[in-house]
Amino acid sequence: MRSLLNFLLRYKTLILFLILEAVALVMISSSHNYHQSVAYGAARNISGFVAKRIENGHSYFRLRQVNQELAAENLQLRRRIEKLETVHKPALTAVGDSASGIRYNYLSARVINNSVNKQKNFITLDRGSRHGVTTGMGVASSTGVVGVIVGVSRNYSVAMSLLNTDFKLSASIARNDYFGSLAWNGRNYRYAQLSEIPHHVVISEGDTIVTSGYSAIFPPGLMVGTLTGDLKKGGDFVTLKVLLSADFKKLTDVYLIGNLTRHEREAVEEEVTNE
Amino acid sequence: MNRTLHYVISFVVLIVLQLLIFNNIQFSGYVNPYVYVMFILILPMAIPSWILLLLSFMTGFVIDIFSGTMGVHAFATVMAGFVRPWVISLNVTAEASEPEASPSSKTSGLRWFFIYTVTVVFIHHLSLFFIEVFSFSNFFHTLLRVLLSTAVTTFFIVLFDIIRPRR
Repeated sequence: MRSLLNFLLRYKTLILFLILEAVALVMISSSHNYHQSVAYGAARNISGFVAKRIENGHSYFRLRQVNQELAAENLQLRRRIEKLETVHKPALTAVGDSASGIRYNYLSARVINNSVNKQKNFITLDRGSRHGVTTGMGVASSTGVVGVIVGVSRNYSVAMSLLNTDFKLSASIARNDYFGSLAWNGRNYRYAQLSEIPHHVVISEGDTIVTSGYSAIFPPGLMVGTLTGDLKKGGDFVTLKVLLSADFKKLTDVYLIGNLTRHEREAVEEEVTNE
Repeated sequence: MNRTLHYVISFVVLIVLQLLIFNNIQFSGYVNPYVYVMFILILPMAIPSWILLLLSFMTGFVIDIFSGTMGVHAFATVMAGFVRPWVISLNVTAEASEPEASPSSKTSGLRWFFIYTVTVVFIHHLSLFFIEVFSFSNFFHTLLRVLLSTAVTTFFIVLFDIIRPRR
């Protein structure tokens, strides 16, 4: 007993070191699903509160640009309404047709904490469960896809940024609908990589990349970015460089996209794959 | 008491600087200075190692909470706190300063302080960046980020040490 005590006293620094590192590692490994933890939820409420105060100051300096982007998006939406009204007028006025029912709902949110300089970037938003945010909602800005909600507290939510090496997005080339998997390699925050595009697909620089709609998170046709750089080929599949249309360095206003029929869709998909 | 207050103020100032300024510095993903490590560097020479470890953990934990990286910084700061006494003992100068003093370029010379800072910061950044990526693929890319960030962090810490008010 005495020698055990002596041993502990002698190596107390080493033992404390190992304990603290073990605690840190447990925190890291549990942070992959940390949105479920109540303790971290509390921590997020505190840090979210501080981050919101800071962001309040920051946002004034970006108002001009945000206005311009919103005006541009409004214009684009107006054009789309115009087109739809002329082409699909009967479809829009039809009632009782569940196929034309609303599939997605939208919520606006403000970015109160964001980073682009880590390998695993997250974005904190000022909307939480109180406002109807749930995990798995998509996040997009007026310029393009931004991320997916992974954690929600009462007043705040945290989205996994597209600039997170764990993030995967099903995206397709708008021109010919070939789809692949979009991910970020952790280097330049302006570019992501679109892989699994078959070798024979004809592509050219500047082709638009949009969401494919194959995951239940984003509606199809949402802007992601444009093809850029060398379109080198090799093997059966090519990996393409995509210039992201959302500038993550100046994200301020985003909207959240909830798929109203997501659970129904996932249930039926699971039912089939389990057989 | 006065000394404790001095350290509390240093802690708050460094954390605020880190969160408001240095977390926003970024050159194409390669340079992320983590200047808050300076708090661990300036703790008194003869601080008991277990207190040093606990303070290091606390420092990393606070940064983790505010940047949403649970445990990553805590891991790296504990590593830095663990090697600090060892770096000091490897690197004692002839005029081994009084145990109560805070390591600085003024008491121990610029050369000493630079070597001390660069070693601890390198070990901190090495564990931080590799724990953050959690893989050894892209090893040299991560190593380059470590080296560049270490250089920038060291530069700022030495600069702050030169301009910091003497107690």
